[in-house]
This record gives sequence, C-alpha cells and structure tokens, in this order.
Amino acid sequence: MNDALVIGGRELRSRLITGTGKYSSPEVMRDSVIASECELVTVAVGRIDLDSVGEVITDYLPEGVTLLPNTAGSATAEEAVRIARLARAGGLPDWIKLEVIPDPRYLLPDPIGTLEAAEQLVAEGFTVLPYVLPDPVLQKRLESVGCAAVMPLASPIGSGRGLKLRHAIEIMIEQAEVPVIVDAGLGAPSQAAECLEMGADGVLVNTAIARADDPAAMANAFRLAVEAGRSARLAGLIEERETAEPSSPLGGLATRS
Amino acid sequence: MTVTVNGREQPVVPGETVESLLEGLGLGAKYALVERNGEPVERERYGDTALADGDTLVVARPVAGG
Repeated sequence: MNDALVIGGRELRSRLITGTGKYSSPEVMRDSVIASECELVTVAVGRIDLDSVGEVITDYLPEGVTLLPNTAGSATAEEAVRIARLARAGGLPDWIKLEVIPDPRYLLPDPIGTLEAAEQLVAEGFTVLPYVLPDPVLQKRLESVGCAAVMPLASPIGSGRGLKLRHAIEIMIEQAEVPVIVDAGLGAPSQAAECLEMGADGVLVNTAIARADDPAAMANAFRLAVEAGRSARLAGLIEERETAEPSSPLGGLATRS
Repeated sequence: MTVTVNGREQPVVPGETVESLLEGLGLGAKYALVERNGEPVERERYGDTALADGDTLVVARPVAGG
C-alpha cells in the first residue's frame, strides 16, 4: 500500500523530519540522520565566520536526504524573505521552513509576519512550510495563500513538553487541506506516536534526538514511533469509554442467578 | 579597491568576481550563499559577477538548525 506523505507534489516515504541542530558533533548528527531514515532535514542559514571557515554541515549529510532550509533568526517577514531568497539563489532547494520569531523566551512565531512572508514567498515560487502556533484560522489563511504544509508547534521549541496544544492541533487536522506536520516541543517517541495516532501527517524532531544520551538510538526510536503511530491511525483506534468492557466471559464457573 | 565582506574590509583586485573572491577566502563555491548590496546572487552568476569598489557582501551557508 502506498502511504506516502505528499508535500508540494513530492512523495515522502518517511513521516519523520529531523533537524541538524544541537548535536555534539557533525558525525553524531550524520549517524542520527541515517538512523532516523528521514528524507528531509532542516538546516539554518548563517553568516560564515571568515576567521574560522571550518566545515560545512552539509558535507556530513548522507546521500539522498533533501535539505529543508529554515529562516531561523528572522524576527520579521522581511528578514525571512531575505533568507529564503539567498538560500535559493545560492543553490539550496526552493522549499523553505518559514519561521518568523520575534520572541526569544518562548520562541513563539508571529502569525501576521508569517502570513505576510508566506504569501510573498509562494508568489515567488517557493514551496512554503510555515511554523505556526496551532491556530486553525491562521491555518486556513496560510492554505489560501498556497502554503504546501503547516507546521504547528506541540509546545515551545526544545522544551520536550509534548502535545500541550493538542486540542487546537486536532481541529487543524480535522479541517486540513494540506499536510499538518507537528513541529517543536516533542520530547519522547511516545509523543510523536500520539501525533500520528491523532492524524498528524508527520512530525519534525530535533532536540529530543540531538540531546539524547545516544542520539542515533533515539533517532531510531522516533522512527519506530512514527511508523507505529501512523499504522495505528490507519488501523483505526477504538473509542474511549467511561466504563469497562470485558475482554473475557464474565461468568467463569460460578453459578449466579 | 575594497569591498566589505560580512562586515570586514577586504582588498580586491580589478576584475575580481564573486567566484574568485570566495576562492580567495578559502570557501570554494560549495553552498556558499552570496548577497551583494542587498540582492542575492544566483549561483550560476558567481563567475561573471564582477565586484565594484565599495560593494557590501554577505557570505552565508547552511548551518546546523532545526
């Protein structure tokens, strides 16, 4: 059965997207990306320190993965558009994970700036995946300007708190016309499974893998959890009940009248 | 003549292009992203984009991120 995730006309076998940040070394990052079996990995765009040119992270990525540049560091729509244009002109993919984040404490995205930048970038031919607060109304606006997916946060970036905003994300899933990828705040594979079970199309995970004691093993655990959650979604979960429903006959050998 | 690269003044010779500047900085062109006077430079144009005295350049690349 073909259960590919389709974003912007492209079929992805993996519903797990991983980030490349916060790893102890690029080698550990590489091993984790391989273990995750993801096809899309996020990168940021940063100025090169001319006094210490160092290594390019992309040299460590395994063959076959596609870069998803983000606009991290943008506090305004203009800054995000500038980064996207620079990335594409320089040969990076024209897919962009759009982040407009004016708030350094909770790293919550600016919905108005995000919508403005999304509209501009779609008009310029980018495939735009905006990072958003779980807002079903904003989701509809972003779909209407042509975004290829929407990426609601589960809880603040790097917090590991899991699906704190579950109800709003459920509404987004129910009314989605483009894929919903839960991005940020997932701390455990069980939380990723929960996202897929409730119908999210995919998840993006970075900190929970990169900061684990054994990142490659955790990447594998997230891979399995995403597959399990998706399989469960397709299999059909039972309805919750208030009271018990026996799995075995209640009679036993006793005679009750 | 002089250009500014990532905030640092850099002497360049006449005829210098984005491509030769990157080589001189030890960057090669691989995934070096270049903005010249606020406008992104297309990778295919690195070799024929000549620098002018006073140009301001930003040189960036993919870095680790989520």
